[in-house]
Order: sequence, then structure tokens, then C-alpha cells
Amino acid sequence: MDEDLVPQTVRVEAIRQETPDVRSLRLVFEDPEFGREFSFQPGQFCLISVYGVGEAVFCISSPPAWKDFIEVSVKEAGKVTAAIHDLDVGDRVGFRGPYGNSFPYETMQGRTIVFVGGGIGLAPLRPLIWQTLSDRAKFKDIHIIYGARTVKDIVYKEELAEWQKRDDVKLVKTVDPGGEDETWDGEVGLVPSVLEEVNPPADSLLVTCGPPVMIKFTYVSANKLGFKPSDVITTLEMKMKCGVGLCGRCNIGSRYVCTDGPVFNFEEILSLPDEF
Amino acid sequence: MEAHFLTDSDLVSFLNWLEKRGDVYVTARDDDGNVGIKPYSETGDFAYPGVRAFQPLKPFFFSALEEVAEYPSTESPIKESKPFAIIGAAGCDLRAIEALDKVFLEGDFKDPFYEERRNKSLIIGIDCTEPLETCFCVLVGVKPYAEKGFDLGLVKIEGGYVVEVGSEKGKVVVGENKGLFKPATENHLSQRDGVRKKTTDMVEKQSKEFKPGGTWQSVMAKAYEDNAWSKNVETCVECGACLFICPTCQCFLLYDQKTKDKYKRLKMWDTCAYRSFARVAGGANPRDQLIERFKHRYYHKFDYFFKNYEFEACTGCGRCIVACPGEIDMRKVLKEICRS
Repeated sequence: MDEDLVPQTVRVEAIRQETPDVRSLRLVFEDPEFGREFSFQPGQFCLISVYGVGEAVFCISSPPAWKDFIEVSVKEAGKVTAAIHDLDVGDRVGFRGPYGNSFPYETMQGRTIVFVGGGIGLAPLRPLIWQTLSDRAKFKDIHIIYGARTVKDIVYKEELAEWQKRDDVKLVKTVDPGGEDETWDGEVGLVPSVLEEVNPPADSLLVTCGPPVMIKFTYVSANKLGFKPSDVITTLEMKMKCGVGLCGRCNIGSRYVCTDGPVFNFEEILSLPDEF
Repeated sequence: MEAHFLTDSDLVSFLNWLEKRGDVYVTARDDDGNVGIKPYSETGDFAYPGVRAFQPLKPFFFSALEEVAEYPSTESPIKESKPFAIIGAAGCDLRAIEALDKVFLEGDFKDPFYEERRNKSLIIGIDCTEPLETCFCVLVGVKPYAEKGFDLGLVKIEGGYVVEVGSEKGKVVVGENKGLFKPATENHLSQRDGVRKKTTDMVEKQSKEFKPGGTWQSVMAKAYEDNAWSKNVETCVECGACLFICPTCQCFLLYDQKTKDKYKRLKMWDTCAYRSFARVAGGANPRDQLIERFKHRYYHKFDYFFKNYEFEACTGCGRCIVACPGEIDMRKVLKEICRS
């Protein structure tokens, strides 16, 4: 049997409650040899099985350089994600992956990079941000624009604070109007409008992920700022099931998110039916 | 193509030989004259059907429901299957297997369950002589006879069959039955050609009024916003019959089930006609409206699949027309879209 299709067993080593409905899980492979040889690129995804409940797709949210474990960040939204939220440290789940393409890291180098994340959509950008920062000299400016619905919905708070402190990163954080509280020291406004205020140069490369509606309006704003469609990159999370191009669930037109993506640029997306 | 002649009685001997080799499924007519597929062990006979069977052949390779994993377990969930032969695959059925092979065997990942059964199969094609009123294979580049994609192909002629050899597997089987297969004569082959021309003319004639002005892709490229869709979707009750009976529809669902001391993962047919098909966790649904799902089926068959594999995922078998309780006729829908 094709060994890529057989789930590995991973153990939950640590759990971090990011927000009221998002948890990050640190996972360690039971088979140490598989764990040592496991490699992936930022943007790739995996499938996590909760035994007896089901399997769901998540991006790997830790960078490849963090060895011995991987992380996934899970927002409670359905049956499988609810079961993942019920897991305790030491529990075991199934793991398949890595699958899909990855962010075009080589071609990003030498340019200004604008990361635009919304809510849990920062998860797929996080490994790319860390990788970019570890190769900091290879890039011009690095912008991070991150927004959440409310202050409570902000993920990776410590890392955002760490990036904000760096003088080689320009970070702007925002919450939707009404989502602020008395402690809030960031912007108030929707992510696409904050992007327009930041106004990065149009020859930058923009990498975005968030709710579909945010991705769509981020593209509209980027377009207004003069970005070429091919310079706006996103990762799509259509309903994937098998992860390997067989089950027919995640197609957008003739493309399959699982095997042709999940990373697409807007030149590709605009040539497909408006179905994401 | 290598061709032989097999008399009527030698075909029976050949089927009996095949049965010793593994399971044998043949086309059979029921009391109402409908063609179905049954085990040869039940029928003891083979009635040359002259047309595709009511049911598609996909369940032989892609089960409606099967267990694909059991855990915790270290055993392979793939059950070795017996060799089997299907006698009676029409041209449209052969095209459907070609489409399924593309998806399940020729991508980055193979479906090991499909592959196992495909490897064990011997596909014997037939030429159509009695096409149904709903047949339109010629509109999607398929012939009403076994043109390719078979191991052996049978054409009924006077006193027996012309047998064409379409694969290495077919050649081996013929080689093991040398005494039965006689050389095909010019006369046999010209009878075969006559059968083919006659049937092709019949299907061409009944399909003429539905012929598109250009390629299907050029039609679909202009059709997405056409008004004809909303009129045609009116009688759709979202039952999914057209997709379950479609010989090329291959979407599936994976779900987990708890048994006494183990867990099983099951793979089950699914269809894009159902509203929840593309819905994501959190509730967003890219094809929330029925009309979007309705169009998606046509676009997948006539445009998206073609872009990936250079042939349509519709075989012109007409099963969806027969199965639809809303009397939706794919040919008529496409005709209206072409016209406007």
C-alpha cells in the first residue's frame, strides 16, 4: 500500500490555549525514525485523525527549523475540531502528510514581503514568517499586518509581541471596530483598510491568509495599491478530505486545492470560478 | 489489431474456462428486456446485449462503501481480490474506466483499493447493436463499439463473434485457449465493420439535434451565466441519482466509525449535488445554491475534467437521463445552453 496514505501516530506533547476557541497542539511522532526524517515546507498541510471521530485538514503552523515536533493550531468549528479540543497531553492521534505545494520561498527572496493575516489565518503564515526572519538578510522590508475580530481572538500573542519588538520588522496589529478593550494598543479597523494605510510599495510580495471574505478584500486593496495579481499569494482551505487528489471534494474549477495548492497566487485564482 | 473468430458454442467453452480462473460477470436481460449484469454462475448463459447495461461498471472497482483502514492495526486493509472478468462493457463503459483510471491511478497518489481490483480485472467489450433512445456517445468522442480500453472485444456476427485483442492481458488469455480462437476472415471483419457502421449511423442520427456548434469547452466557456440553467434546474430534487449512476462520478467521503475495540475508516460514494458537499467547517459554502451545484456537474464533465485530461468526463451513456425523477435530460439542457 502507498505508505503516504497510512497515518502515523503522533502524541500530544503540549497544548496552548491561544484564544477561547483556538488551541495549538505540539505533536511528536511515536516512530522516532519517521520523526527525524520528517520534513516539510511552509504552506504544506497535514491531516489529523481523532480515532473514531474523523480526520480533518490543518496547515502545519510551526516552521521546519523547529525539530523534533510540529504544531497545528485548531479553531473549534465542527466535529473533528471539537474532539481535538477535548484531547489531553499524552493522547495519541493519527497524522498524514505533509501534502500540497508550499509558498514560493526561493522567488520571494530579495523582495519586500508583506504578510497579511486575519484570525486563525495567521497559522499558515507563521512558519513562513519564522523562516523569513531566520534568513532576514535575504529580504528587504518585512511587514506583518495582523487582525482579529476582538482582542480575545488574537493568536500567537507572545510571538506577535516578539516580532513587534524587532526593529527589522514593521508590525501593525488591528481589531475589528468594537473588538477593542481598554488595554488595546493597536489599530482599530478591518485588515484591508489597514493594509491601504500601511501602503507598502507595489513591487512587494504580499502573502495573505484569513477568512475567505478577508482574502477577497485584501486582494481588492492590494490591487488598488498597484500590486500585480501574481504578487498576491494566498493559501486556500477548501473542504479537503483525502488530501491526495482522489475524493473530488476540494476542486475549484479544474484545480484541486489539495494537489495543485493549497498555495495559489491571484493570477491563478482569477482564472478559476469564483468558488472559494 | 489482432482479431479472431469464436463460434457461439466456443464462446460458452471460453466463459466456462474463465470461470475456473475467477469470477465471471455477464450481461443478461431481465423479463422486461432491460440489460443488467449478473454473475455467470447464476445465469449460466450469455445474452449478447447489444447495448450498455443499466448499471455502470464502477462498483466493480470503486465500491459504494468500503473499509479503507482499521486502527490500531498493523495489517494492510487491502483485501486481495480474485481475478474476475466482465463480459459486456460497451464503448461508453470503456471510456468511463479510462476516466476512472486517470483519477485513481495516474495522479501523484494511486488509490490502492481501486488498483488492486483493476489489476485483477479482465474487461471484455462489446459492440452496440441496439442503442437506447437516450444514447449519445458520439457527441462526446466515444464510439458505440469497443474501440479501445478493453482486454478483449466481442462483435456479434453470423454464427459467432469477432474477438479483438486489446491488451497484453487479453493476448495471454487467448493464448491459453488456442483451440477455441480461429483466425478471423475478411468476411468476418467486413461483417464487423457493417455492424459498427449501422450502429454509429443510428446514434449519429438520434444525436444530430443535440450536436454543439463547436467543442464542448467553447460552449461551456460562454455558458456560465446563461438563463437556460435556471429553467432546467427547476425540477431537480437534489436526489443525487444522476451522479450515483454516472459511470465516471468518483467523489467520495471518508468517515470514521467506532466498533467494539477498534476504529474503522470508511470510504463512501458522495455527490456534489448535496448541499453540504463543499461546505467548510465554520459554515462557508462555495456552492450553497442548487443552481451552482447543478452547473458544477456539467462544468466538471464538459470543462474541468477536459482541462486536466483532454477528454470529457461524460461518456454519453444516458444513464443520468433514465435515472432522473425530474426528467432532466442532459442533452436538452446542453442544447438550450448552446442555443442561447
